[in-house]
Amino acid sequence: MKKYFVLQYKMLNRKMIAFGIPLLLGYSLIPLAFFFLSKSLFSKTEFAGYLYVFLALGIISKTSEPKKNDFLKSIFSQRKYLIVRSVENFIWSIPFLTFLLYKEQVAFALALVLLSTFMALFNFRANTNFTLPTPFGRQPFEFTVGFRKTYFIFPIAYFLTFMSISVNNFNLGIFSMILVVLVCISYYTKPENEYFIWNFNLSPKDFLIQKIKTAITYYTWLCLPIIIGLSIFFIDDILFLIGFFLLSYVYLITTILAKYSAYPYEMNVPQGILIAVSLIFPPILIGVIPFFYAQSVKKLNSLLHDSN
Amino acid sequence: MIQIKNLTKKYGQKTVLNSINIKFEKGKVYGIVGENGAGKTTLFRCIAGLEKYTGEILSDFEILKNRLGLLLTDPFFFSKITGREYIQLLANARQIQLNDIESKNLFNLPLDQYASTYSTGMKKKLALTAILLQENQVFVLDEPFNGVDIQSNLVITELIKKLKATEKTVLISSHIFSTLAETCDEIFLIKNGEILRKVNQKDFSDLEAEMKEFSIGDRINKLELK
Repeated sequence: MKKYFVLQYKMLNRKMIAFGIPLLLGYSLIPLAFFFLSKSLFSKTEFAGYLYVFLALGIISKTSEPKKNDFLKSIFSQRKYLIVRSVENFIWSIPFLTFLLYKEQVAFALALVLLSTFMALFNFRANTNFTLPTPFGRQPFEFTVGFRKTYFIFPIAYFLTFMSISVNNFNLGIFSMILVVLVCISYYTKPENEYFIWNFNLSPKDFLIQKIKTAITYYTWLCLPIIIGLSIFFIDDILFLIGFFLLSYVYLITTILAKYSAYPYEMNVPQGILIAVSLIFPPILIGVIPFFYAQSVKKLNSLLHDSN
Repeated sequence: MIQIKNLTKKYGQKTVLNSINIKFEKGKVYGIVGENGAGKTTLFRCIAGLEKYTGEILSDFEILKNRLGLLLTDPFFFSKITGREYIQLLANARQIQLNDIESKNLFNLPLDQYASTYSTGMKKKLALTAILLQENQVFVLDEPFNGVDIQSNLVITELIKKLKATEKTVLISSHIFSTLAETCDEIFLIKNGEILRKVNQKDFSDLEAEMKEFSIGDRINKLELK
């Protein structure tokens, strides 16, 4: 058992190194970033505790991948398997637990411990007979695949919008929009297999335009209930709402371009830093977007064979 | 027509393809045979434009890859995409409007199930269906018969004959010689990244016997099975 966890630790380190993050920096910056993001979430909404537990359980559920669990079952006895899974879930919940206790949210912390242990008992095997329908079938794949993996976020986001209207809290409504855009951005963080780029008979420029068009259309669909709700009930803040919505488009586009500018690899640290700086100082995007675009065209050229 | 001139591919110091010269004509089916690691897949990847190489690959098309359907040995599928969406994705990539995918479901695949849950053979059949619906002129099929049931094997064989009849160029690699013998006009024997020879239809049986002798030899006898 100990060897299994040591191996997990080694794999985490390898992933960080592959991502271009020096280990010392990773182990100091990631907890700091986690702390400040958590703090920001708790300062934005009174429902942060619920969201926090939900988010933690979402991450923990990713460790319940059926193939991995089947492998663990084949090498450990039933008792050891349950211990490994429980400890694993507990380790993943530690950062969340620590922050909940720091915020004196003992009830949520307790709920998280119980639920994460409970989840260790289950093997989240995908039901092969059920296919979650999506409205994105005409232009697969990012939103079709992404939506099926994160569908549970959208009812939460819409519920938050509803709550923001009921308690007359515009910021909470904006937070629900941030949630949706972050989820949609996450659909574009991993590079796809080269076959799915190679297949396109488009130039790199047209390929990128098509990807951006699809992303913007489908993101707008997902955001529409939030936009409509907020624009009706917070008519005085409509300009801010439109501005924020347009800015979310820009970040979505930036992420798509950043993804292909690193292709075939995952986004690296300098790109992450550029995006992070642009969050603090959005005008930098005027330079960042053309830079990512030029890099993307260069990277895609070898697969798309631009004849122009 | 596709003409390959002095195609060489190296991975670092290792030469995987060495000065390949072949011509593939319209309306013909070509087999590529050789041991594992002989360079068949690399040759296909070079033709598809997925690898950088030295030499030349000329064709009648402005950009060959835009008219080429590539069936990989082990097709990749996203975890939450259905068979129907996979076909749609590949059709969209070539700006093909697809109506009524169901009627074109050649292998009766469960198109509304996630493709990642398909068996190896079903995945291959789905990937083949998708490239057929792309209206390609050239087909590069890497091990199309692998993992596929006997009925579908027959369908694929007939399909290849139909592609030939409709003037498409088809390149196949396979370890199942009987299917190659039934469909190919010419077979190229590749070894250590070099084309050893080109064999015409009339000499296929000699090639099969030769390959059998070369592959098996007296290896099994050495086991001294009793």
